[in-house]
Amino acid sequence: MKKPRNSLLIAVFAFATGAAHAQTAEIDARVINEQGQPVADAVVVAVPADGARPPAKAAERPRAGVVDQVDKEFTPKVTAILVGTAVTFPNHDNVRHQVYSFSPAKRFELPLYAGVPAGPVVFDKPGVVVLGCNIHDWMVGYIYVSESPYFAKTDKDGKAILAELPPRTYAVRVWHPQLEGAEETTLKSVDASRPGRVDVAWQLKLKREVKVRRAPGAEGRGRY
Amino acid sequence: MTPSSMRSKLRALHLACAFFAAGISAPATAEWLLDSDGGVLYDSNLNRAYESADIRADSAFTLSAAGGSHFALSGADGLTLTANARSEIYHRFHGLNLLGLGGTALYRHKFGLGYAAPWILLAASASHDNYRDDIRDSDRVELRAELGTRFTEAFDAAFGGRFERRYAKNDKPVVPGISGKVFDLRGQSAYVRAGYAVSDQLLLGAELAVRRGDVVATTRRHFDIFVASSAIAADPAFGSDFVAYRLRGTTDTAKLTASWAFDNRSSLNFAYADERTDAAGGIIYRSHSANLVYAWRY
Repeated sequence: MKKPRNSLLIAVFAFATGAAHAQTAEIDARVINEQGQPVADAVVVAVPADGARPPAKAAERPRAGVVDQVDKEFTPKVTAILVGTAVTFPNHDNVRHQVYSFSPAKRFELPLYAGVPAGPVVFDKPGVVVLGCNIHDWMVGYIYVSESPYFAKTDKDGKAILAELPPRTYAVRVWHPQLEGAEETTLKSVDASRPGRVDVAWQLKLKREVKVRRAPGAEGRGRY
Repeated sequence: MTPSSMRSKLRALHLACAFFAAGISAPATAEWLLDSDGGVLYDSNLNRAYESADIRADSAFTLSAAGGSHFALSGADGLTLTANARSEIYHRFHGLNLLGLGGTALYRHKFGLGYAAPWILLAASASHDNYRDDIRDSDRVELRAELGTRFTEAFDAAFGGRFERRYAKNDKPVVPGISGKVFDLRGQSAYVRAGYAVSDQLLLGAELAVRRGDVVATTRRHFDIFVASSAIAADPAFGSDFVAYRLRGTTDTAKLTASWAFDNRSSLNFAYADERTDAAGGIIYRSHSANLVYAWRY
C-alpha cells in the first residue's frame, strides 16, 4: 500500500515548507496620497539595514521583463525590475513605435519598429528609467531598476506585499512617478527581525501628472 | 462650363483620388486618422465693414471632418495625408453657408529624439469651397511652414508663415473696367503661438498673427472704399444694396484658446479672436469672433 506512504511524504513536505515560510518575514505596505486615497504604481523597496547581502535564492528573481505597447501607451505604465534584468518591448499596435530613454540609469533607443524588436534591453544600473516614443510624444512609461531583490509594486488598492524576507531590520522606501521630493524622504526603518507580517503605511505627497497631451486641442488637428 | 474649368475640376478630382488611394494602400504600419468636430461660432463683423450702420454680425453651426493616414517615414520624419470636409451654416446670412472639400499633405521633421526636440512642419492644402454663390465659390490653396519646440511636457511654442491663394470661380463685374472677382485673393501671414497645459484636462493657448494681403469688405456703396478697391461686385448675401470690395490690407489677429479634454479622444474647445485690419485708403475695421467646438478623434 503506497498511499499512506505518499500521504506521509506530502505531510512532511508541507511541514518543511511551512516551517521555511515560518522562518521568513513579510512586509505589507500600504500607500495613500494626501487625500487618503490609495496610490497604485508605487514601488516599495526594502534593503537590509545592516547591508547584508541577500541570500542567493532571493537574488534569483526573474531576470526578464516585458513592457508592452498597446493603444499607443506603455503597458504597464510602471515596471519594477531587479538590476541586470533584460526587458523586451513588444509592440502590439498596428503602427510603429520608436522607444527611447535619456535617463542616466539607462540610455537607449530602439529604432522604429513593429512587432517584437530584435533583442531585449538589459538594465544594468539601479535607478529610474523614463521611457518615451519619438513618434507619439504623449507616451510615457517608467522602469524602476532596484538594487535590492526585495521590492513590489502597489496595486489599485495601494497595497504591495514584500514576501519571504529573511528576518532582519530593513530600510524601506517608496518611489512613484509623481512623488514630490526625493525617494529618500520616504525612507522608514522597518523591524522585520521576527518571522511574520509587518504592516507599514506611507502617505505620499504627489505632484500633478504632467504629460504631453493626447486629446485633440483647440486647433482641432495637429497630432504630429 | 468652359474646357479650362472642366480641366481644373478634373485635376481637383485626381488630387482627391490620390489622397484616398494613398490612405487605402497604406501599409499596416500606417496610422489611420479620423478627426471630427462640431460647434458654434459668432462673428461680430462678418462683412468686414467699418461703418457701424453697415456691420453685420451672425452666428453659425460648424461641422468638419478629416480622415486619412499618418506614415512614420523614419523615427524623425512623418507624413500625414488627409481628405477633409467642412461646413458652416449661418443663422441669418444664408449666402455664407459653406461646404468645403479638400485635402492636406503635412510633413513633419523632428531635429532629434524626445518630445523636446525642435521640429519643422511643412503643409500644403487645397480645397474647393462651395457657397452656392457666384462670387464666393472658389478654390483655395495654402502653404504653411512652422518651426516649433516643446520646452516642457506642459509648454510648447511655434512660429510660422503661411501663404494662401483663393481663386474665385466667377467674374461678375458691376463697374466697367474693374474686376468682379472680389474673392480672388492672395495673402501671406506670419504667426507665433504658444500652448500651456494647466492640468491634465485644461490646455490654454495664445496666438498672434500678422497678415498682409487682399481683404474683402462688404458695405453699402462707399466712395472712399470704391477708390481704394481693386475689384468690386454686388454681394446680395448681406442685402441687395451691399457691395463687396477687394482691398489691400494688413490684419493683426490676437487669439486666445482654451481646451478641456474629456479623455484621450475628445475635448471641448473655446477660441476668441480679436482682429483689426488696416486697409488701403485709411479704412480700418475690427471684428471679434468666438467659437465653441466639440472635437472627437478616432
